[in-house]
Amino acid sequence: MSNKNPSRRKFISRTTLAAFSALIGSKIVFGENIPEGINLLGLPETGDGEFVPGKSKELIVLGSQPWNAETPPHLLDPEITPADLLFVRNNGLVPEKFDLENWTLTIDGESVNKEKTFSLKELYTNFKHYSYNITIECAGNGRAEFNPSASGQQWALGAVGCCKWTGIRLKDVLNAVGIKDDAVYIGYYGADLHLSKDPTKVVISRGVPIKKAMEDETLLAWGMNDTSIPIMNGYPLRLVCGGWPASVSGKWLTRISVRNKVHDGEKMGEQSYRMPKYPVQPGAIIPDEDFEIIGSMPVKSLITFPKTGALITKGNSLIVKGHAWAGDLSISAVHVSIDFGVTWKTCELVDAVNRFAWQRWTAKIDLPEKGYYEVWAKATDSNGKSQPMVIPGWNPKGYLNNACHRIAVKQL
Amino acid sequence: MKELNNQDKVNFAVAVLRFRLGIIILVLVIILVINFLSPENFFSWKDNFVSKNINTDLTQQEYVYQPILFDTIDIKDGIHVPTGMVADTGVAEVIQNCGACHSLDLVKQNKATKEGWKEKIVWMQQTQKLWDLGAQEEIILKYLAKNYGPENSGRRKNLENIEWYKL
Repeated sequence: MSNKNPSRRKFISRTTLAAFSALIGSKIVFGENIPEGINLLGLPETGDGEFVPGKSKELIVLGSQPWNAETPPHLLDPEITPADLLFVRNNGLVPEKFDLENWTLTIDGESVNKEKTFSLKELYTNFKHYSYNITIECAGNGRAEFNPSASGQQWALGAVGCCKWTGIRLKDVLNAVGIKDDAVYIGYYGADLHLSKDPTKVVISRGVPIKKAMEDETLLAWGMNDTSIPIMNGYPLRLVCGGWPASVSGKWLTRISVRNKVHDGEKMGEQSYRMPKYPVQPGAIIPDEDFEIIGSMPVKSLITFPKTGALITKGNSLIVKGHAWAGDLSISAVHVSIDFGVTWKTCELVDAVNRFAWQRWTAKIDLPEKGYYEVWAKATDSNGKSQPMVIPGWNPKGYLNNACHRIAVKQL
Repeated sequence: MKELNNQDKVNFAVAVLRFRLGIIILVLVIILVINFLSPENFFSWKDNFVSKNINTDLTQQEYVYQPILFDTIDIKDGIHVPTGMVADTGVAEVIQNCGACHSLDLVKQNKATKEGWKEKIVWMQQTQKLWDLGAQEEIILKYLAKNYGPENSGRRKNLENIEWYKL
């Protein structure tokens, strides 16, 4: 039963919620005022009873405080990742209040002519709108496979997605404000709250060099897949900057500083989102000054069909497909192997709809005889660099694992 | 009454068409004029910031993390059930200190030596407002190194936990 009047809501007290929490024995999300029609008692049916608010229950939850969840690869098959399936990577606590009339974005910093603040309405009405399909991937995607284990969220494969983002170009806004010739970097600030609940502590404030910020596809986005952005992914306004670690695409955006030096915000320094400048031995301890900031992400691909574990009947061909992407570059080829890399078959490859969109690849495979096979996919970027078949160079924080994705199949 | 000849019929039909066309044009002009005067009446900027999808409409909801209180009654088969942590000496200290700020899933996912866990604690104390753990630190470190210690997964593991299904 739905209630047409949104102001009439079923009020549930905190005590009731706490009691309910005890009842199902898990920590989940509660609404002080949950819209009528949402069945609270339906929650325990969702497996572990823990799922990310507003997201698909099929996401693999890595943690709830802060919320982090990834997408099983076979659910990434659509060209455009559905909103409820895009991974969630949070460093802090999601904002709780969204006052659209009073939400503002301030452009400041050493390298602006004059600080300026825009309302959402001004951003929406004063600038030209653009939409692009942009792949966003967490720099730590694949961290779980590093040995020795690297510290942090243990992402497997699915901290990546390609959504249709709609908004305005950051460069249009920066040009309207007026930036000085000495601009080097931009750094964002968002409305999320530090885990310690100290409002003066910044959760994360990263950014990109001014050249990257001024690219056509670097958006201030309010739209995702033709509707608003899910709260977990940065509602109502976020940066979208393809090809670089997703952490440069700040969420719940309130401020962008145009800096006359490399931005020094939270998680820009020490070893955060940085790689050793030279190859290092697994487990080595590397001094901070030997690290450099990660820029364009390496070439990578996923097998999105079939789901791993497929049993194939003799005589049937297997169609495999997936996506490939390569940071600031494009994909020149994708190959698949069913014999652990001994031989490779060239896949059909589709051009990207725009820069930073992932590219669809497809191949038809015939399994020669009964037995266990692994399908491996290996993409090559426009500079001729390919994905490694084993885990690439170890690094202390476990970034940039772009090893070939593997799925298991059997012919019966 | 005089029967309409063919010419009259055509004239009548044309007149009806003109009338209808006129109405349509009039309506369009009215819409455009109103829209020009006040675009928000028709296409509100805010519509683009308000979700049409119930899955993303959480603006009225609140997220409440409730740190788990340790109680030995929750231990079953060597596991502290509410958190999924290994029930061993030190689990209470870990749940009470680490679980106060972040999900214990973050602890369970990670593997490190005692030195590695110590580094994480120091980092949290330097940057994340973690308090001085006092005498509990040693208990916590021993627990973590023993139950969440490193494992050698080689250069690449076999594919595991495969759920087979007929395609």
